[in-house]
Amino acid sequence: MDASNPMTLSESAPHRTGRVRSSRRIADRVLRTACLVATIVGAVVLGSILLMLIIQGVQGFTPAMFTHPTPGPGSEGGGIANAILGSLVLTGIGITIATPIGVMAGTYLAEYGRFSKIAGLIRFLNDILLSAPSILIGLFVYTLMVRPMGTYSGWAGGVALAIIAVPVIVRTTEDMMRLVPGTLREAGAALGAPPSTVIMSVTWRAASAGIVTGIILALARIAGETAPLLFTALNNNSWFSPDLMGGVANLPVMIYQFALSPYPNWQSLAWAGALLITATILVLSIIARLVIKPQMSR
Amino acid sequence: MPALTETIALARPRAAAARKGPSRSLDTLFRVCSYGAALFVLVVLAGILGSILYGGWPAFREFGFAFLTSSAWNVGTEQYGALVAVIGTVASATLALLIGVPVSLGIAVYLTQLCPGWARKPVAMTIELLAAVPSIIYGMWGLFVFAPLFARFIQIPVSNLVEGMPIVGTLFYARVPSGVGVFTAGIILAIMIVPFIASIARDMLDQIPTVLRESAYGIGCTTWEVVRHVLVPQASVSIIGAIMLGLGRALGETMAVTFVIGNANRLSASIFDPSSTIASRIANEFNEADGLQLNALMALGCILFVITFVVLIIARLLTRRVKAA
Amino acid sequence: MNAASAIPTVDLTRNHANEGGAVRIAVKGLNFYYGSFHGLKNVDINFHDRQVTALIGPSGCGKSTLLRCFNRIYSLYPEQRAEGQILLDGQNVLDPSVDLNELRARIGMVFQKPTPFPMSIYDNVAFGLRLYEKLPKSELDGRVEQALRKAALWDEVKDKLRQAGTGLSGGQQQRLCIARTVAQSPEVILFDEPTSALDPISTGRIEELIEQLRDEFTIVIVTHNMQQAARISQFTAFMYLGELIEFGPTNRMFMNPVEQRTQDYITGRFG
Repeated sequence: MDASNPMTLSESAPHRTGRVRSSRRIADRVLRTACLVATIVGAVVLGSILLMLIIQGVQGFTPAMFTHPTPGPGSEGGGIANAILGSLVLTGIGITIATPIGVMAGTYLAEYGRFSKIAGLIRFLNDILLSAPSILIGLFVYTLMVRPMGTYSGWAGGVALAIIAVPVIVRTTEDMMRLVPGTLREAGAALGAPPSTVIMSVTWRAASAGIVTGIILALARIAGETAPLLFTALNNNSWFSPDLMGGVANLPVMIYQFALSPYPNWQSLAWAGALLITATILVLSIIARLVIKPQMSR
Repeated sequence: MPALTETIALARPRAAAARKGPSRSLDTLFRVCSYGAALFVLVVLAGILGSILYGGWPAFREFGFAFLTSSAWNVGTEQYGALVAVIGTVASATLALLIGVPVSLGIAVYLTQLCPGWARKPVAMTIELLAAVPSIIYGMWGLFVFAPLFARFIQIPVSNLVEGMPIVGTLFYARVPSGVGVFTAGIILAIMIVPFIASIARDMLDQIPTVLRESAYGIGCTTWEVVRHVLVPQASVSIIGAIMLGLGRALGETMAVTFVIGNANRLSASIFDPSSTIASRIANEFNEADGLQLNALMALGCILFVITFVVLIIARLLTRRVKAA
Repeated sequence: MNAASAIPTVDLTRNHANEGGAVRIAVKGLNFYYGSFHGLKNVDINFHDRQVTALIGPSGCGKSTLLRCFNRIYSLYPEQRAEGQILLDGQNVLDPSVDLNELRARIGMVFQKPTPFPMSIYDNVAFGLRLYEKLPKSELDGRVEQALRKAALWDEVKDKLRQAGTGLSGGQQQRLCIARTVAQSPEVILFDEPTSALDPISTGRIEELIEQLRDEFTIVIVTHNMQQAARISQFTAFMYLGELIEFGPTNRMFMNPVEQRTQDYITGRFG
């Protein structure tokens, strides 16, 4: 193709031939193997957890479990209907309290307090609260509500769960609102809309999928929380009563008490409850992921 | 200019008032509400600290500094000390890091560097979902699946092997090989923090520009060298932040540990023996406690607050610095 | 841009500036696939010892792809594969038995964006050396200095060798990357648009540097900038849609292209 240049290969020997030392090769092999082993170990352990849940849980899974309340000590059969209902009510209270607070606080951090010192502090402390030990939140709500009222109560349980849910919602709301392009806000403001209107009808709408994701994630987070409920809602072996001023049965505490009990029917109910709650949480997490996907790829 | 504005204002006073009046007060209300909601975070944190300080104060006053150094926990004689629970907390969390961190980093490196493309997403997603599994489930797995296997295949043989030997004979000897104890708690905690640390570390490694990776390979590095000298140093600060976050979780984790640590108040040099952590002791005894025992448990809560918050603050400072850079 | 503005910058005497000229790399029947996309179509081309060869062509024409075949950096991505032969001194680098690490030490690469590693300036340069040789400290120091001098960076960094490489300016970072590559004494250096992220002054320095490096190394450079190709290269290859359209001495390519498409591209009619 280019006749002016000879096609012969260069005769000159390479001036340095690097040899890869065998120690480098071995280090590389070891790393690759170690990483593969770590992943396999992780997968096996986590797989065995799910397998255990399914095997044990399915055995206890009966229609009666949804129609009967938890049995007393030593009695036969029974279900976990009251605990399921109680868990729904408690997480419902928790998320109902947490959503407005979390969304508003996230809005403040994203819109008003972007650069203020106090917002920086709140953002920082919110991140810390996000991973704070939930048992300490239980102690707080115990001191705040259970002790003054003299009784364990559903309200106290709901408040404890709300405190756990708030930081999750704050964080996602802020992150998602920050993703909304500034030009959209400017466009809203240019029409003469006051800031609150711009936020409510433009920013929130644009970030809605992300905010909903945050709420679902918070729901998944509090649905399985046990420690803070131990000192707040505790448990109750009777049918669910609409009076939330007493102890309220709930799945996590039921699982804790029944799993460690000596009665076989209690244990099998604990497994069934564990399967139910884990499946619910995994479904919620997957939904959250599906909701957030289009938002992120935009 | 002022004159013009005035004219307009005069010309349409009613329309302007009708429009601006309500929306401005609504605006203020909205702003105040959001500010109040944000302050709620501060109030809650202060409330947590205040309530446990208030509850724990009598115990601190009664025992003074000795509360930290005493290993007593006797309901009959009303003697309480935090030492066993503090050591149990720190020991189980340290074991969790020793086991969990290498595994997490291994998974993160595998997923970002070695894994075939098609498997990357499903494996990563599985790991992230496992971070959502409630802690009580890990506790049940630890107690009912792991502990019996651990007792049979590790604790008993190892105990027999090391019995009578110096140091290891103390460290790895189980008086009652039941499978529960500090070491088991450490393993369960490790399993719980692995998905967490691995997914953050994976994100960090993924964020490193491809061209940096290519240029390291481009001068003839092996994968190990790329990871060791380029990728890990590049992401080191945030990976340490992730590890600290994991540590914060391990220190405060309650339910999983309560299932598998054995809940004994005994100071033992063996990591195979049962013990307690702060969180497990509070979970176990709080509902039946009153009087000074309740105060002592609250005081334990204060100690846990201080330990975890110091760790979490360091973690957040580390992860934050990276974001700013 | 038109041909007239490009031509005067070509130094016609430069072709004979050194003894180079023999074929160093021979590409024969090279095909490249990104998954099912056929990225390079039956490319045949020779690269000459101690000469600068510029690869030009519109975006997506395969010039970077060709460059990435020489050190097989594409093999980081499982869906990418190359077929055919790339003979470096007669040895086919596409042969599966070729040690990739060793190959990449023999064929250095400088990327579009500066890529200093997260370590000090000194360690950035010493890193590649340490991979292959265990050198005493004094000799290592000497080699690092030598490499930094060759990259025309020594005077600017000699007092801050222990500082982080990321603290340098963009142009300095790029020269640091060149020093890092040069330190390994490769036989070939590949430049993938090395100045596209730099300001004109830094670009000028890098171009001077490439001109100097030609005394020692065989250089292949991908560039979007046709004036740059005309300024620094002895040979130019024009690629289009994965095919090699025309290859020849730079001055002939710019003044008297054979192919109509080359003519059109060089005169700015498309691209």
